[in-house]
Amino acid sequence: MKHLTRIFLTPILIVVLLGLSACQPAAASPQNGKKTIVVTYSILGSVVKELVGDQANVVVSMPNGQDPHEWEPSAKDIETLTHADLIVQNGLGLEGGMEKSLAQAKEAGVKFFTASEHITIRTVGTGEGIPSGDPDQAVGAQDPHLWTDPVAMKQIVDALTQTLQTELGIDVSANAKLMDAKLDSLNQEVATEVNALPASSRKLVTGHESLGYFAQRYEFKLVGAIIPSLDTQAQASASDMAALAKLIKDNQVKAIFTELGTPANVSESIGKETGVKVIELTTHALPKSGDYFDFMHNLAQTIIDGLK
Amino acid sequence: MDVLIQPFLSNTFMLRALIAGMLVSVSCGVVGTFIVLRGLAFIGDALAHGVLPGIAVAILLGIPGIVGAAVSAVVMIGGISLITNKSTLSSDTAIGLLFVGMLALGVVIVSRSTTFSGDLVRILFGEILGINAQSVILQAVATLAIILTAIVCARPFLLLCFSPEQAQVSGFSSKLYHNIMLTMIAVAVIISFQTVGTMLVFGMLLAPAGAAALLAKRMHTMMIYASLIGMVSVYSGLLVSYQFNIAAGSAIVLVATLIFFAVLLIKNLQLARSRQKGVPDHD
Repeated sequence: MKHLTRIFLTPILIVVLLGLSACQPAAASPQNGKKTIVVTYSILGSVVKELVGDQANVVVSMPNGQDPHEWEPSAKDIETLTHADLIVQNGLGLEGGMEKSLAQAKEAGVKFFTASEHITIRTVGTGEGIPSGDPDQAVGAQDPHLWTDPVAMKQIVDALTQTLQTELGIDVSANAKLMDAKLDSLNQEVATEVNALPASSRKLVTGHESLGYFAQRYEFKLVGAIIPSLDTQAQASASDMAALAKLIKDNQVKAIFTELGTPANVSESIGKETGVKVIELTTHALPKSGDYFDFMHNLAQTIIDGLK
Repeated sequence: MDVLIQPFLSNTFMLRALIAGMLVSVSCGVVGTFIVLRGLAFIGDALAHGVLPGIAVAILLGIPGIVGAAVSAVVMIGGISLITNKSTLSSDTAIGLLFVGMLALGVVIVSRSTTFSGDLVRILFGEILGINAQSVILQAVATLAIILTAIVCARPFLLLCFSPEQAQVSGFSSKLYHNIMLTMIAVAVIISFQTVGTMLVFGMLLAPAGAAALLAKRMHTMMIYASLIGMVSVYSGLLVSYQFNIAAGSAIVLVATLIFFAVLLIKNLQLARSRQKGVPDHD
């Protein structure tokens, strides 16, 4: 039977050699004695990085530009999560593809900070957009898109500062003060810019229901969304499309803002039917500078320009 | 060499995935052997896809996907029996009908709920890196059940595979044992969808058993080889997934398929060589 052993060994050897040929050592944590904080998505990550400075290693799980609702971690990403000293997550089901991995990290005893636990959570209100029968869009459903409100981010910064002290023994209160001031200014600036728009123009139609906190803070009306859900994973249906077109016409909305994950053909056809501009809006990713404040300024500016 | 073991030693989730994968290899090795020997590939594929509506409904209702999958499988097997009993249609027509009907039903259910798409991908392709301890225990129990059934029914299964006429003569109801076999396939599909997903479990059923069929002529040897090849695929696939950031479930099935083709190639080369030398073919 020795030819059988040869038959067996050959494929195994091929696979093993392939594996060895480009191997890197296991994802090693930086050997600099500092704690490792893992943040799930880029926008929250940039705020945490600025807060922590160089007092700890901050790693962001999702590459910037990936859809936070959908992105799934690889084996090495899961390894980073399960070996972290602290995980900073959004909460409210934002990180859909990371559910199981975050559960594994919890099981491994990793400490967690959940951003949504430290703000006033916005729930879907009556008359908002299209009731689609989806539990995600039902009145009372909790909105996870908290990063579009600088005041909410300030509450998170303050709460995280405390957690970092108690859980990791890191004092970032100096940076926290600076950031609080910056976030206050940001809030004032955006409010002033937005005031240039008359109330009748402040009507939002987006790719999915992602601007709830922004609308609440700066007094915009949420008319509807192409995907009537708090999640990009849902699908648009024919009846929803017709309802949206009618809402746009009735409310005299001036522009539709598409986002990451919005089906392009659907947005174009609604744009053609209603005669309304279709503008691309970045709501889930940081600009090139990687800065939260630039992100918010760009967001506000694009919305204001679109609705003038 | 350390690089081959380190990922599993320093990560509980990798070790758990490995164990779950090993269990799947054994169940699929045993059941896959029957599929290859009895030509049941079509119904195996039908079951793998037909469990979709059951899983979809289960997720909507908040009950474990496995329960839904089990119900789907029962409906499918029952439906196939019904059609073949109440009509003169051949079994592959019956299988095809149930296959397509249930798959369509699954898609309709999924498209009605707007919260589904990401989950659908995970159902189809599995989430072996996200397996929890409970699932592993469930798989161990199911694998044990499959092994025990195979041992208890060894003789009738053997006859069914190699000489169905003799099975009747020996007093075994071929209908009964055929249904037991189908149930085993259903169980293997159901417990494996969490690791490699419903689309890929079929690969784990066919590729290792197919390669084993090229290497062994006796049923129990085939099962052992199929399980071993499956295990090697799981181990290598997980390692490759870790090193190269590739989806784990797909990596495993890809390795299993490559092993099959490697074995096929080597076998044919050996045959060609022994013919050249003028040596009579022997296995």
